This record gives sequence, structure tokens and C-alpha cells, in this order.
Amino acid sequence: MQTHKYMEAIKTTRLSKYYGEHIGIKDVSLTINKGEVFGFIGPNGAGKSTAIRTLLGLLIPTSGSAQILGHDIVKEGKEIRKKIGYLPSEVHYYDEMSSRELLAYSSRFYGEENPAEIERLAEMFELDLDKKITDLSFGNKKKCAIIQSTIHQPELLILDEPTSGLDPLMQNRFFELLEAENEKGTTIFFSSHILSEIQRMCDRAAIIRKGEITAVENIQALLEKQMKKVRLVFKERPGKLVLPEGSQHEKWHDNKLSFEYVGMVKPLLQFLNELDLIDAVLEEPDLESIFMNYYER
Amino acid sequence: MNWNLYRKELKRNRKNLIIWSAIVIGFTLMVTSIFPFMQDMGEDMAALMEKMPAELSKAMGMDAETWSSILGFYSTYYGIYIIVLVSIYTTSTGATIVSKEEKDQTSEFLMTKPISRLDIFKTKMLALFTLSMIIYLVQAVVAFISISIFKGAEVSWEAFIIMHLGGLFLMLFFTCTGVILSMYVTPKKNFMGIVVGITFGSYFLNAIGQAADAVNWISYISPFHHMSFQVNDPDYGVNYLSAFVLLAIGGALLYLSFQKYKKKDIAG
Repeated sequence: MQTHKYMEAIKTTRLSKYYGEHIGIKDVSLTINKGEVFGFIGPNGAGKSTAIRTLLGLLIPTSGSAQILGHDIVKEGKEIRKKIGYLPSEVHYYDEMSSRELLAYSSRFYGEENPAEIERLAEMFELDLDKKITDLSFGNKKKCAIIQSTIHQPELLILDEPTSGLDPLMQNRFFELLEAENEKGTTIFFSSHILSEIQRMCDRAAIIRKGEITAVENIQALLEKQMKKVRLVFKERPGKLVLPEGSQHEKWHDNKLSFEYVGMVKPLLQFLNELDLIDAVLEEPDLESIFMNYYER
Repeated sequence: MNWNLYRKELKRNRKNLIIWSAIVIGFTLMVTSIFPFMQDMGEDMAALMEKMPAELSKAMGMDAETWSSILGFYSTYYGIYIIVLVSIYTTSTGATIVSKEEKDQTSEFLMTKPISRLDIFKTKMLALFTLSMIIYLVQAVVAFISISIFKGAEVSWEAFIIMHLGGLFLMLFFTCTGVILSMYVTPKKNFMGIVVGITFGSYFLNAIGQAADAVNWISYISPFHHMSFQVNDPDYGVNYLSAFVLLAIGGALLYLSFQKYKKKDIAG
């Protein structure tokens, strides 16, 4: 890999975008290092797409500044876009083109065409290159967009809800592709509202709510802090039970117990091991309740 | 200027260009080829013209000589239908060439490629004027050939060229109005209604102003007033001042369009 003068792939300083009075994003300050896989989590409408579209130059920032790979997003957008790949959450391409034509058209903007690589990726994702875009399903359009975003070997990949529309098999292949790209040194900015994806892929993640960054977490730390919903069914309701530290909202219903647990997983498993249980369910709470329960505090 | 985008624009607009060119060519051929039959009726028509109210003939840009030469006959159709038809095509293409990407949300694709908004705009304008010049020149060549065949008598090719230059300036002006229209207006369906309104509307404004002296001023706001199609006028020539003004306004409209486009938010 070549050496770079700058360490940061993305650096934003109090970046804000307002739609009139309405806040899109407010005072977003983020630093994403080169080679990192960085997650961007938040519920729908939190400002994930607004942040991404501002970085890409589709939206003009209201205030603040940002650099991508050392270039200013407002003044040097063209330079930036040579070096990045963008995978949109909803794919809108030219209906009258086939995937092959679209990908060739896209490649020509970067100067080089690479039909062999297009062919290889199409095979990997089982995409029929000769079908017209208009005849493709949501998932197949997404596959075409995946190839479009990676074909020119970008230094930075910006992914907006990349797995929506893909079946689990294809999601897996997509993650394998991302891991291979990251191995080669590609920085990945991964926006999603699905926590498990972020957990699988990312080193660090920022959490965005109502347009503002509420936390930037190491994923390992996030996992340790992550709340789980625990539901247990006992053979008989025990007389007295001391729940492990980090438990809250304890609720009994006959011989069923439910509570929320925040902490390392080992003490919880040790606790469960000593109980006389018929059934135990550990649930990942939806992101919304993490926000409500953890980040609000 | 981005060659890749330019090529795609021409390809994408090919079908529409062919259809509109066919319409305009068909109309040109029809008008010029019926002249020999109309000429036979020339004397009757001239007599009829004298009985017609002067306002009406002025509004239609006709006089007794209209029927006596093929160029005079052709000019009455050129100034109304042909230039309006060509302008409807170029203006509606101007209105959609940038805005269609936003409507179809393909602008998200285009604008995340390594190309600046200025390059996109310049390239699309170049494609637009290429398409406009193709339909314009094809029509002119067909008219030249057809008039050569059906003329019957000598034709002043100089007047022919002057008249077509007038058409060119009008077409270019209208094309620019289409571009700026698309920057400020987002119609529910398409721009066709507004475009037909602008082009035919300007023509009728001029016609009304010409017909009645009391409202003469109306015609001044119509671009048609500033380009004459009176080929039989002994002083017939290119009105350079008007041409310059039309082109300058057109250029200014394109400049304003880009200023708007440069700052536009492309929402998802």
C-alpha cells in the first residue's frame, strides 16, 4: 500500500445541515482513521443519510467543514469522488440501461474499464448483467450498486444501509467482499440501523440521534455495555433470587421472569447455570431501546 | 466537458430527436410541395387577401405577395409552425436535460461520480445545443432541397438564409428559457404544457400586437416581434441588434440556471 500524508479518511468539524428550520445534522464532529471500518448507527430519520449526502457533496452544508482523504468536501468534491465508492440505500439507476451498460458507463468516469472484474463480481453476487435495470428487483439493483461502488478500487467506501434487500447468503458474500477490501487497506464507513451488522464489521461506531452524535464507541466496549433482554421460565418459582449486577426492570409472571441486563456476558451465564430452568431466551434489544435505556442516561 | 456524459445524453435523446425531426421534415415537405398547386390559385388568393381585414392578414404575416413566390408562401409557415415546432422540441429538451436526473433520482448516481457540477452543466448544455442544431440544420437542408425542386421561379437564397437565421436565434432563445424553467418549476407530469404555452404564447402575443395598433406594445415583449419573416420586404435583412439581445438574454438565463444548480441540494 502506498504511503499517505494524512491519517484521517474522514474528518468533520461541527458539520451542520439545516433544511430551513428543520435540523438534518447538527455540529457533527467525527474523525475516521484510514483503514478503519467505522459504523454509523441510528434509527431511521436520525440524520445518517443527511450526513452521508453532505459528505458526498449532494447536499451543501449549512455550517462547519469536513475533509475526506485530505480534500475539502465543498471545494474539492471532484477529487474526493475519484477516490471513494458510494453504495446508496435505495438504488436509482437509468431504467433503460442494462447492468452491464450501467457499470461500463460508471467505470468510464474513473477512466478505466474492467470488464473481467465486473464479470467476477457479477458471478459472485449472481447478478444477470444483461437484464435491464427496470426489470431488476430491489435486491438485484443493490447487487449492481455494490459492484458499482467497488469496481474502481476506491480508498474509501461509503455504505448507506448496504444490506437492505439482500438475502442472508448475499449479505454474507457482501461482508466477505468488504473484509477483503478492508484487508487491502480500504477504509469503510458503514451506516446501518442493524446493530449486529455493525458488530460484525466495525472497529468503532458513532451513534447519531436527532441529527447529533451522542456517542462514539469502541465496538468491544459497546458489546460489554450492551443491554440484553433476558426471559426465563422456571420449573418452579424460586423463593428468593439475587439477580446479577447490572440487572434492572425485574418482572415476574407466575413462573416466568424477565429482566434487562447490562454488563459482561460471563457473570450472566454463570448465574443462569445455577438455575433450574425450562427455557431461557437472551434477546438483543432493538436499537431504539438501547437509545432509550442506555444513551438517555 | 465530459465525453462519457455527452455521449450518453445524445444516445438517451436520440429517439425523441428522430421523432421530432420527422414531424418537422414532414411538415416542411408538405408546405413546399403544395406550393405549385397554391400558385395556380395565386390570383384568386391575392384577390381574396384584398377583401380580408388588414388586421387579420397582418397578424398572420401575409400579404398579396405571399402567394406569388414559394419563399413567401414558405415563410408564413416557417415563422409560425416550423419555428414553433422546432422550439417546442428544443425547449422541452432543455427543460428536461438536467431535471430528469433529479426526477428519476439518477442525479445521485451522476453527482457521486468524479465530475463537478459545472462539468455536468456544461456537458448537458453542449448536448442540448448539439441536439438543437441537428434538428435545425436537418430542417433547413430539407427546406432548401424541397424549395429547389418546387420553386418554379428564381428564389432569393439570401432571403432564405436571413429568414432561417432569424429562426435560429428564436430557437436558441427558447431553448435557454426551457433550461431556466426547469430550475424553478417542478411540474407534476411534464414540461410540455408550459413549453407549448411559452412558444405559441409568444407567437400569439406578437400576432395580437401586430393586428391592432392600440395594443402594439404587446408585440414588443414577444421575441417573435424582433425577428422578421417578411421575405418580400425590399429591406429584408438580419436584425443584428435583436439577435444580439436575444442571445445575450439566453446566455444570462443559462448563467442564472447554473448559479441555481450549483447550490441545489440533491435530496434522497
